[in-house]
Amino acid sequence: MSNASLEATVDPSEVQGWINNLGTEPSAAVPLLQAVQRAFGYLPRKAMDLIIENTEINASQLFGVATFYAQFRLDPVGRNLIKVCHGTACHVQGADRLNTSLRHVLGMKDEEEDTASNGSYTVEDVACIGCCSLAPVMLIGEQAYPNLKGADAQKHLVKHAKTVGEILPGKDADKEAK
Amino acid sequence: MSGEGLLINVGEGTCGIAAGAPEVTELLKKRFPDAKFTAVGCVGMCHQEVMVDITNADGKTYQWGNVNKKNLPKIVRFHRGEADLPEQLLIKSTDAPDTEKSQYLLKQTRIVLRNVGQLNPTSMSQFQERGGYTGIEKVLKGGMSPEDVIAEVKIANIRGRGGAGFPAAIKWGFARGAPGKVKYLVCNGDEGDPGAFMDRSLLEGDPHSVVEGMLIAAYAIGASKGYAYIRAEYPLAVEYFGKAMDDARKAGYLGNNILGSDFSFDIKIKEGAGAFVCGEETALLASIEGERGMPRIRPPFPAIKGVFNSPTIINNVETLANMPWIINNGGQAYADLGTEKSNGTKVFALAGTIKRGGLVEVPMGVTIRHVLEDIGGGSPTGRPLKAVQLGGPSGGCIPESMFDTLVDYDAIDATGAIMGSGGMVVMDSKSCMVDLARYFLEFTQLESCGKCTFCRIGTLRMKELLTKICEGEGTMEDIATLEELAPSIKQASLCGLGQTAPNPVQTTLEYFRDEYIAHVKDHRCPGGVCKGLITHTIIQKDCTGCSICERYCPVDAIEGELKKPDTWVIDQQACINCGMCVEVCNPDAILAA
Repeated sequence: MSNASLEATVDPSEVQGWINNLGTEPSAAVPLLQAVQRAFGYLPRKAMDLIIENTEINASQLFGVATFYAQFRLDPVGRNLIKVCHGTACHVQGADRLNTSLRHVLGMKDEEEDTASNGSYTVEDVACIGCCSLAPVMLIGEQAYPNLKGADAQKHLVKHAKTVGEILPGKDADKEAK
Repeated sequence: MSGEGLLINVGEGTCGIAAGAPEVTELLKKRFPDAKFTAVGCVGMCHQEVMVDITNADGKTYQWGNVNKKNLPKIVRFHRGEADLPEQLLIKSTDAPDTEKSQYLLKQTRIVLRNVGQLNPTSMSQFQERGGYTGIEKVLKGGMSPEDVIAEVKIANIRGRGGAGFPAAIKWGFARGAPGKVKYLVCNGDEGDPGAFMDRSLLEGDPHSVVEGMLIAAYAIGASKGYAYIRAEYPLAVEYFGKAMDDARKAGYLGNNILGSDFSFDIKIKEGAGAFVCGEETALLASIEGERGMPRIRPPFPAIKGVFNSPTIINNVETLANMPWIINNGGQAYADLGTEKSNGTKVFALAGTIKRGGLVEVPMGVTIRHVLEDIGGGSPTGRPLKAVQLGGPSGGCIPESMFDTLVDYDAIDATGAIMGSGGMVVMDSKSCMVDLARYFLEFTQLESCGKCTFCRIGTLRMKELLTKICEGEGTMEDIATLEELAPSIKQASLCGLGQTAPNPVQTTLEYFRDEYIAHVKDHRCPGGVCKGLITHTIIQKDCTGCSICERYCPVDAIEGELKKPDTWVIDQQACINCGMCVEVCNPDAILAA
């Protein structure tokens, strides 16, 4: 990822605090990574190194766990996180169009790309958030948006960007703001 | 009127919140500052969110559905006595005849969901007012031995609700008899099936019943330590379950010498981290131990050698939440419901193309048609229902012609689908069964832990073949290869994920073979879903030339002059068939076929 500006600054004492709370034994690996991810939105290399140095968890276990579970990511996230639900109910009702539509206004052309070039938003697919009767659903931050069509997703995003003062790098993003 | 004497319950589960419950509550509080408000869990009528229950001072009750800030004033004026009853918003009232909407709940038998939507999930006192913790009290103060508890559960004949359907009492018996100083009870709340949300609603809407169920199970098997493994995607469930544990501990239901007995038990929450395979028992144990969630070879079974090598029982959320009811009402009352080999009730999460989606609890032995049509209200689109997908990625599709199949473990197994944890996704004629099979294989392939070759590579090959067919490049030989791969993957995989991954392919091939053949031979997707096999064209006679499609097209494939319908065309070279234009077109002037 080219978004060097999104790299988090890791305070070693904060990481040590989590270790003190959650323990140093191997079974603490998942909760520790969850604490790191909760704080930074991803797993910064520096924080991983601190855990390896200060617990019984070795690098192979920690990276093994970090790369196994869908929740964890090693790349920084954008300033805002959008989660698009791809549960069965959302899939059969057109969740793919939410991605197409969001990626369009975010100017994300490359399939591998999940964060807008200006670092404003990251679009992540999630397995199922369990609101299947409101499908298709997406979350921007903690806020859920139910019963979406592709165009609705775009409208909500444009509105959200205005409220938080982000610029959407994609085509015509401003034109849709109503 | 300030609202004095009014009792107002607003459904604030995850889905209620998503539909806008907090905003409705806030507005209601402004209108009725003196009313007594309770944020209740999700009652499971997701299609009616936001839901508000109001009890007047005279005791009359009104249940309102689809409430939003626009129609809220009608309800407010009614309760102030200033307007007539807004019938279109009413679900059920003691003051009016039952509406069609109320059939959704009236036709259900609610045992597991007895409290969901009826109480504030963070209130210990409300739970106790509804008979909470009387089950464990009956056990500990009534002198029931662990063997008595197991015997009662055996009479109830409740089978594991997580999917596999193994009888709970037999499983408990194994762990009861296993040697070991410390034994563990794990509550499996890693509801990974995309399309299922029963466990979420229980953990969010009635967490104390799950705590109580865990206490009963722990006492029966002799466990002193418990884990509640809850998906991280369910933050509200984690929060409410944690609160329930704290309150139970304060009230003396968790900890040492519970209710003065020599039974001690406590629970820790483990948040899952997003791995479907962790729904599998041994993978879940590995995850608790801090490892990658990869299944282990059985035997030894977890009941003998589980988490940290100690005897461990893993029960699903729904199984456990049934236990307090079984203890209080007796195993026989539970066994009286259902069929010969599938007793009690089952909760389904009804979603997809269905009029009334949400949580449905029915006695075993009713037909699938009853669930979909009498309770769910059938198709909302006017198009006929085509199939229902049961059991998520491990399950299969049941065609409309077989909707009279009974809700019964063995009857559903016989169709090639599985009861599973209870996800039911309904589809009408505008869905593609090949695409659905591809969707599930893409899911299982991503979620395969990689331990067994056949699962790791086999699901990938299946996904590739299905993708090829969806793109119109498939051959009849590909279909034959799929049929050959399916049994091999099932046989050569260690755990449930691989053993069931081919089910969606096998059932769609069995019941919807014509759709596969249409893709391969006619290069046609009958459901109009597969992007490689459809084209989008503008029907100029219906077009108004409004240009909205042009604005939403992500690839600039649409062009024309404003207000001149006969100039509008889609550049087929550039079009990616995403369908955005169809969605935004008001006069329905874009054809996808």
